[in-house]
Amino acid sequence: MEQPALRVSGACKTYDRSDHAALLPTSFEVARGEFVSLVGPSGCGKSTLLGMIAGLLAPDEGSIEALGKPVTGPGDGRAIVFQDAALFPWLTVFHNVEYGLRAHKVPKAERRERVENALRLVHLDHVADKHPYELSGGMRQRASIARALVMEPEILLMDEPFSALDAQTRTILSDELQRIWLETRPAVVFVTHNLIEAAFLSDTVHLLSSGPGRIVKTYDVDIPRPRDEADPALLELRHDMLDRLRAEVDDAAERRAQVAEVSAL
Amino acid sequence: MSTATGDGAAGGTGDTGGRPGAATRAARGAGAVAMDLFRKSWFVILILVVWWAVSASGLVDPYKLPAPGDVLSTLGTLFTDRALLDDLGATLLRLVEGWAIGVVAGVLLGILTGGSRFLEDGIRPVIAGLQAVPTIAFLPLAILWFGFNGTAVLAITAFGTFKPMALATYGAMHQISPTLMMAGRALGARGLFMQRTLIFPAIVPSLVTGLKMGWSFAWRALMAAEIVVTGAAGLGGVLELGREIGAIDVVMAVILVILVVGIVTEQLFFTRLERWVNRRWGLVGAR
Repeated sequence: MEQPALRVSGACKTYDRSDHAALLPTSFEVARGEFVSLVGPSGCGKSTLLGMIAGLLAPDEGSIEALGKPVTGPGDGRAIVFQDAALFPWLTVFHNVEYGLRAHKVPKAERRERVENALRLVHLDHVADKHPYELSGGMRQRASIARALVMEPEILLMDEPFSALDAQTRTILSDELQRIWLETRPAVVFVTHNLIEAAFLSDTVHLLSSGPGRIVKTYDVDIPRPRDEADPALLELRHDMLDRLRAEVDDAAERRAQVAEVSAL
Repeated sequence: MSTATGDGAAGGTGDTGGRPGAATRAARGAGAVAMDLFRKSWFVILILVVWWAVSASGLVDPYKLPAPGDVLSTLGTLFTDRALLDDLGATLLRLVEGWAIGVVAGVLLGILTGGSRFLEDGIRPVIAGLQAVPTIAFLPLAILWFGFNGTAVLAITAFGTFKPMALATYGAMHQISPTLMMAGRALGARGLFMQRTLIFPAIVPSLVTGLKMGWSFAWRALMAAEIVVTGAAGLGGVLELGREIGAIDVVMAVILVILVVGIVTEQLFFTRLERWVNRRWGLVGAR
């Protein structure tokens, strides 16, 4: 029986200065090489969950295991891509991608080869010597993906990586991400609020809802790859998820109305 | 801080900022340059004219206010017999040395202790308190420790730079983007590697502003100290000598030199440095 890439068991989180839970106890697994999305409106705890998996936040209770070992900090086979690329502005694209390898004391010749491969993979080899401010938003995000992939992670974590990009760039990068994932096959946890993006990319989609944050439904996406964003099956899935989210929002509004009524008595 | 960065950015982009038509600009060019020059210099010219008029009128004793021409010719004499050149050299050397020592010490202390709440909370208020004391107040102490010599002056200059640099470093560290720090940690950066390759470069743009401030603090501390510790060569010593022998033209000539040094370093060095850093760090660019 193969060990999962990631096992989240009852992880929950409440932030200081707020009494409501950012995330109720949540459990799920990610198999090796599986693409999993966490989708939901803002405040549903999806980024909190990702932060805990990344080892940048500690869960209040529950545990997270990555590759069979409890997560106590960042790194260790997990790489992360942030929403705003978070490239180091003083370094060239090449040196940005090289950074993690330097931190891990990888010898220079090997660094060079791995960085060049990663840049080729994301089609950025022609701008290796440019600085981040010379790149478009889409290119910056490609560089950020290369910086994560060069670590050859078994688990790739992506926190709304395309949400700051325009619609066309976003579609192109989704396509590219599918290709890159098919070539490299890490397990991926992909956070987004874009339902079609989640459906298009994922093997499994966890739909989260807010107030308090929790997984309300899990969808398996059995559509053969490579996929097409215009596939009617994807649009149908998106429709289902949207209905479910609407029902959740209505429920939440109703609950809030009830609370207001009760406290008015 | 943001003001100074803004100045640098404005200086860097001002002449490329979307004015219509190169031909129109060329036609307007010469006139615009002259106008610009006049706008920036009319007050200086006015001061010189008033100064010249007052001293020419004979209302003020020339021993209190010499004519501009006299001050200029004294300046010429002081430079041609090379004495002032040596003093200027000694002062500049001390300034650069003291400033560099203070910058390195202040930034190192800030980076090494700024990562820890415990260390920073203990050390920062002490430095902030010391910063509230004019550096020159420590000169007697420095003289007792190092002697009535250039070393005491150097120590005061370094100390005067150290305090604002340490404070600027703390301030800059609080402004590093949390995402950048998280990205670094997630990529495996720790401890000294992180301080060297992430924290230090991330604070460079704010530090450049701090460097300028450190330089002006160093300059003030140095001048004050040199006026007291007159044994060693230096502009401060010449100022004090001028006062002793009642040579007001010498005093004013030296003040002019000090003024020019300030303007030249600011314009030639710091403005360029700021512009280069802003460009390199992408602060004026595509974004």
